[in-house]
Amino acid sequence: MSPALPLTDDDLNAYADGQVPPERAREIASALEREPALAARVAEIRRMNARLRDALDPWLDEPSPRELVSAAERPRRGRTGVPWAAWSALAAAASLTVGLGLGWLLRGEMLQEAGTPVTFQRQAALTHALYATDANRPVEIWANEEERLVRWLSKRLSYPLHAPNLNGAGFALVGGRLVAGNERPGAQFMYENADKQRISLLVRKDGAHSRETAFRYAQEDGVSVFYWIDDVCGYALSGNIDKAQLLAIARVAYGQIAASEATPPPKP
Amino acid sequence: MPAAHCRPLMSETLPDPDLVAALPRLRRYARVLTGDVHRADDLVQDTLARAWAKRRLWRAGSDLRAWLFTIMHNVHANQHALRRRELAESSLDADNGPVAGWEIPVRATHDDRVELAEVLLLIGRLPSDQREVLVLAAVEELRYDEIAHVQGVPIGTVMSRLNRAREKLRRMTADRPAALKVVR
Repeated sequence: MSPALPLTDDDLNAYADGQVPPERAREIASALEREPALAARVAEIRRMNARLRDALDPWLDEPSPRELVSAAERPRRGRTGVPWAAWSALAAAASLTVGLGLGWLLRGEMLQEAGTPVTFQRQAALTHALYATDANRPVEIWANEEERLVRWLSKRLSYPLHAPNLNGAGFALVGGRLVAGNERPGAQFMYENADKQRISLLVRKDGAHSRETAFRYAQEDGVSVFYWIDDVCGYALSGNIDKAQLLAIARVAYGQIAASEATPPPKP
Repeated sequence: MPAAHCRPLMSETLPDPDLVAALPRLRRYARVLTGDVHRADDLVQDTLARAWAKRRLWRAGSDLRAWLFTIMHNVHANQHALRRRELAESSLDADNGPVAGWEIPVRATHDDRVELAEVLLLIGRLPSDQREVLVLAAVEELRYDEIAHVQGVPIGTVMSRLNRAREKLRRMTADRPAALKVVR
């Protein structure tokens, strides 16, 4: 018995962590029977261990991002010479067509769980339905004042916006407006084609840098929405038009926005 | 004479299924190190690249997890030193203030999130080397000698860091049992 005493902090930690050999563990155990204060400390260490594990274990259930899984897999023999960036660009391109962005999936969930009343895509659909059907006043500022419109919305969102030019897809800018968002305002650009069909692009600036995501599709109250995150903004293109056509237009918008972000806006 | 000692040193012994299986734990530990979900995944990516580059240094049969944690620790330490030089400040190593940028798992229930937020606040207030030791010992249940290897310090240093970490936690939880507020 006597060689077990006095017990040091290291003894207590190692014992609580189950890191002492069996015979030493027996010595410590019997010493603890005579030292309730030390036994309480061991119990407290074990309680905290369990608390840490219980708190951090849910992180283990998260699915691993695809790029990490491929980084964990054996690199190709002889090195194909394709850098990671190119691979992830390829993967992004592939997921673009699939329209499956895990990031967004999680993000949407997070927004809802955080007590946000509506998801971004739903807000986009509702805002679209509200204003696109308004024959006389679909926008607050018309396209003939595009420059003023973009400047105003950029100022209100604190982000240099860009109204994509969708003429190539047959949709001309009607104008835009500021809309209320859950936490921050959003900017809505409205477009119209020769058949008087309207689509709208809702832009929302997020607080922090978000991950870029692939396009994701949702249908809300009969309105089709393609939405994505790029840099610090979320974008949603809504309309009652053919899904494939809407996706094609979303790609055009995405490309133009990405290009405008790549080149810094000229100083006013 | 096919001598047994002629086992090819250059063989690619790193088992990639095990690497993939280790991902959730790598990501978790990276979050503990960086305090930031996105930086954590970047760190995991760098760690994996380094693991593959150094695959010949891995001894088959040894604990892959401990080996990966060691690589991650070193990658992070290098990056951290770099960034510190760049920023001339370090919020993570500061002895005060919780670490920002942690996110709560989206699938967690409400109670889980509250508890996780509290625990993150607690360990976020520990200096990073103490937080590391604590998580490796209590959560990852690594042996003390493995932790010493991960951090590249003598085992006695691990023991004293662990002890100091637990003392701090004890004081924090005793001082202000109800003062810990949930951030989100």
